Formats: sequence, structure tokens, C-alpha cells
Amino acid sequence: MIFFLSILPFLMILFYLLLMLYFVIDDKKIFYKYFLFPSLIISIYLINPFSMFIIGNELSFFSIIVSCFLIEYFIQKAANGEEIYLRPIAGINAMEEAVGRSTEMGKSVLFVPGISGLDQIDTIAGLTILGHVAGMTADYETDLHVPVAVPIVMETAKEACKEAYLKKNRTDLYREDMVHYVTDDQFAYAAGVNGIMLRDKPAAVFYQGKFYAESLILAETGNSIGAIQIAGTGSSSQIPFFVTACDYTLIGEEFYAASAYLSGSPEMIGSVKGQDYVKLICMIFIFLVISFSILGFLKISPFTDSDFLNNLFRINKI
Amino acid sequence: MIFFKRQFATFVLMIMGFLALIGNFINNKNLNDFIDKDATQWYEIIAGFAAFLGVLNLMKLHLTKISYKRKNWEYSILTLLSFFIMIFFGFFYNDSQVPFGSHLKDENSTFYWIFDYVYLPLASTMFALLAFFVASASYRAFRIRNFEATLLLVSGILLMIGRVPVGALIPWYVVNLMYVFLIFILLGHYIKTRRNYFLLFLFLSFLSFVPAIYLKWYLNPPAFLSIPLIQEWIFAVPATAGARAIMIGIALGTVAQSFRIITGREKTILGD
Repeated sequence: MIFFLSILPFLMILFYLLLMLYFVIDDKKIFYKYFLFPSLIISIYLINPFSMFIIGNELSFFSIIVSCFLIEYFIQKAANGEEIYLRPIAGINAMEEAVGRSTEMGKSVLFVPGISGLDQIDTIAGLTILGHVAGMTADYETDLHVPVAVPIVMETAKEACKEAYLKKNRTDLYREDMVHYVTDDQFAYAAGVNGIMLRDKPAAVFYQGKFYAESLILAETGNSIGAIQIAGTGSSSQIPFFVTACDYTLIGEEFYAASAYLSGSPEMIGSVKGQDYVKLICMIFIFLVISFSILGFLKISPFTDSDFLNNLFRINKI
Repeated sequence: MIFFKRQFATFVLMIMGFLALIGNFINNKNLNDFIDKDATQWYEIIAGFAAFLGVLNLMKLHLTKISYKRKNWEYSILTLLSFFIMIFFGFFYNDSQVPFGSHLKDENSTFYWIFDYVYLPLASTMFALLAFFVASASYRAFRIRNFEATLLLVSGILLMIGRVPVGALIPWYVVNLMYVFLIFILLGHYIKTRRNYFLLFLFLSFLSFVPAIYLKWYLNPPAFLSIPLIQEWIFAVPATAGARAIMIGIALGTVAQSFRIITGREKTILGD
């Protein structure tokens, strides 16, 4: 039993390598492109010729290379016509329902892209979703309101909405004041958006972006007016507030996958599948770390006296 | 023109994304400086110019609203009035003893007075509203509808009690009884007869004290009978585990989203 436990982590590594080989069997090109090429890049990084790489970031580099090539592999797979299944995400499916509900009720749709600038990936993810929501409002001939807190986000949001309406051949429905600036200040912005909600009473409210303490103030006001609310954020501390006050919440990677999901393009969906496989690798590594920790605790790990594990899973120094 | 809006914009997006990524790994001072300083400054300069666009947009929106007397146009007068008052005292009027510009941070200036006595109380009021919203949101979340909501209620109560001084004063036998209550809340669905339910509750309540007497918990109560320690455990173990799971998901999502943008596949942000 102890012998089995001590070799279990190595069996897991072997299982991982077999998974890689499974890809190789498929096609030789795949072996070169998705196994040999990234291995070569990682090897060059580890050899570090002319000290051209920063020492201490090996784990980050390794993770990024593996993630990117895995995502690319599934994108190519999807582009080649392979059917890729994605589990239905209630929050994303409800987006069109929410816009439809607003149309039926003759009310507007409110889209809140958060209070951060374009230097935050959450804001970019929120704006990509805005493009799709604007497409839906153009289709359904529903009024869209996008109050923003950062001027540069306003310009990008305007462009995304304008193009979405243009793509649907509904430029007649696009208004310049559809996306408008409110204020840079956090609570003044919350007060402004709350005012819009209470006066206009939109039937659907989307919170997609980076949020801080104003999240609950906004979501509770939206709840009080009876709007269907769909939230999505990468701010982990705000997710509980949105879960409590909103009808649907896109949690964690669902928020970033929303744009790919809504676009329906096989390439984008392939990237989500790749992301899932990276998650599988993460799970395997988490299992490995737990196994090593237990074995270390029981003093039967072959690495008890070395810093191997500490070095392997150390935090990067930039 | 379309070339600059589409292809060129995508090209710039891809190049900048790629540079920002490799800047974390390549040991080149110029590249590192560009990523850490120059690129950030570029962003700040562009964002600074965009601030003018924001102000213009705000003025245009509210002036149009007032001119056409659109719905709720009266509020727009207040917005513009406040806007121009701040501009007047910020840019044109200095009633303090310090030079122009520094008066924005001088306590004797009207601008500072307005900031201190009008803006800050209003912002604090908005922030204070959060307490009431937390209460109403908690009420909705804590309503016992299913197992998850019950779990949330119990952990919420334990966290709240554990964080206040009175939590440490709760004796071990009360916490022991709380566990019995908790078990019976969960068993409520399965025991239909009230008499049986009550008798079983009494029996288990007495039974729960048997190990306490046998193990002499009254002399040295174990950690699971101390509310502050339970609170610490909930915070450090299940809450952290859940938060980390979400954080891993967020990190993976960020990688995939960035990859789509850097490779030029995600162009919705450019309107494609």
C-alpha cells in the first residue's frame, strides 16, 4: 500500500505523458506543432542562452506555453470541422431571453461595464459581451443604455455598439447617446446608474466588467425595480453579492467564455474547450501536490529531504 | 479608413499584447522599461485625452436633454450647474492665500470646502447605503429554501457571532446544543411526526453531553466547541478553498481571453 502511494505521483505524470502521446498518434504534424515545438521553446528557456530570459519565471513560462498550445490545438481542431460540445451556461442562454423580455415589456436594456479602464481584462471581456448584447438589441429593436465611468471605455463601447448595429443593418436604431459618460467617481457613478434604473426602469440589466464595492448597491437597486439581472465579473470578492442579488451570474471562467459562447464561431468555442483541458491539467497538478503533501506528512515521499517540490511550485519572482 | 479601424487596430492589439507577454520573460532592459513604464504612460496619456471626450459627452448629453425638454430634463440642470460650479472654483476663482492650482488642496479655498462639505458627505451616504443593501441581500440569501441556503445561513451566523467579542463568551455547552439544533434543522424534512421529532431531539440533546462528561470538555473545551475558532476555520478552510477554485477559473479564463485577443481571433471589442 505504501509502495503504491509513493509511486502514485509518478503514475500521474505517466498518465499526463500518455495523454500527450494520444495527441501524437492522431497525426505526425500535430506532434511537431503541438508537442515538439513548445518543448523546444521550453528547452531554450531552461538553457537560457546569453542570459536572454528572466530567471525565476520558468513555471509561468511553462504554464503559458502549455496553455497556449493546448488552446491553439483545440481551436485548429474546431476550425477543421470537429464537433465540439460545450455545456449550456444558464447565464449566457438567458441573455437573449432578457433582451426579448425587455422588447415584450417595451422597456430598455441597461448595460453596466464596471468602473475600471481598459487596462483590466474584465473590462475588455465586458465590452466583448456588450458587442453581442448590442447585436441582440439591434435585432429586437430594443433601446440600449450604456452608462460608463471611464472616458476611454466610453469610446470603445461606442465603437462596439456602432459596429454591432451596422453588422445587423440597423444603423437607424443606433443613437450617439446610447453610450454615455457619467463620472469617474465610484459612488457618484453608482448613484448615477441607480438614478437611471429608478427613472427608466429597464427590464433587463447586465453587469459585465470589473466591479468593487458598488456592485451590491447597483444589483440591489436593479432587484428592487424587478429587472432581470445578469452579472459577470472576474472580481472574486464581488461574486457573492451578484449571486445574491442577480438572477444569473457568470462565475470565474464562464465570464471570459461568454463572448466565445455567444459568437458561436467554432474557433472561439475551440478555445473554450482548450481552456477546459488546461483546467484538467491544473486538476492533475493539484492532485499531485496533495499526494506529495500527504506522502511528505507520512514521511514516505522520495522528496521529503529535498526542496524539489518547493522549487517546482514556487511563487515567481519578477 | 476602414484599414486603420480594422486591420491596423487588430495589428496594434496583437503586437502590444505579444510585447506585454514576452516582456515578463525576456531579459532586455529596453523591452522591460517599455512594458513597465512607457506602455503604461502611453495608456495614461490616451486616457487623459479621452477625459475631455467624457466631459464633452456629458455636456452634450445634458444640454440636448434640456434643449428638447426630454423626460427628467430638470435633473440635467442640476448636473450641469454642479459641473460648472466646480469648474469655476477649480479653474477661475481662488479665494485662499495660496497660489492658483495649490488652492485645490488648501483647506481655506471654496473648492476644498465644497469637496469637504458637499461631495464627501454625499459619497459617504452612498457608501453607507451599502449596509442596508447587505442586510436586504443577506435576508434573501439566508431564507431557508434548500440545503445550500441553510448552510449559508449557518455559516453566516457563525461568522457574525465569531467576529464579535460576545462570541468568545458563549460557553461550550451552548455550542454543543447548537450542533444538536443544526442536526434537527436538517432532519426536519425526514421526521414527519412532531412527537417523535421532539422526543428524538430531547434524547440526542442529553446524549450529546455524554462524551462531554466522559472526555471532560467542561475543563478544556475542544476547538469545535469554540465559536471564534469555528469562525476562523470556516474563513481559512472552506471559504478560501471556494475562493481559490474561482480564482483558478478566472486565471484560466484570462489566459484564454488574452490568447484569443493576441492571436487576433477576438475582435468584438473592435466591433467585428
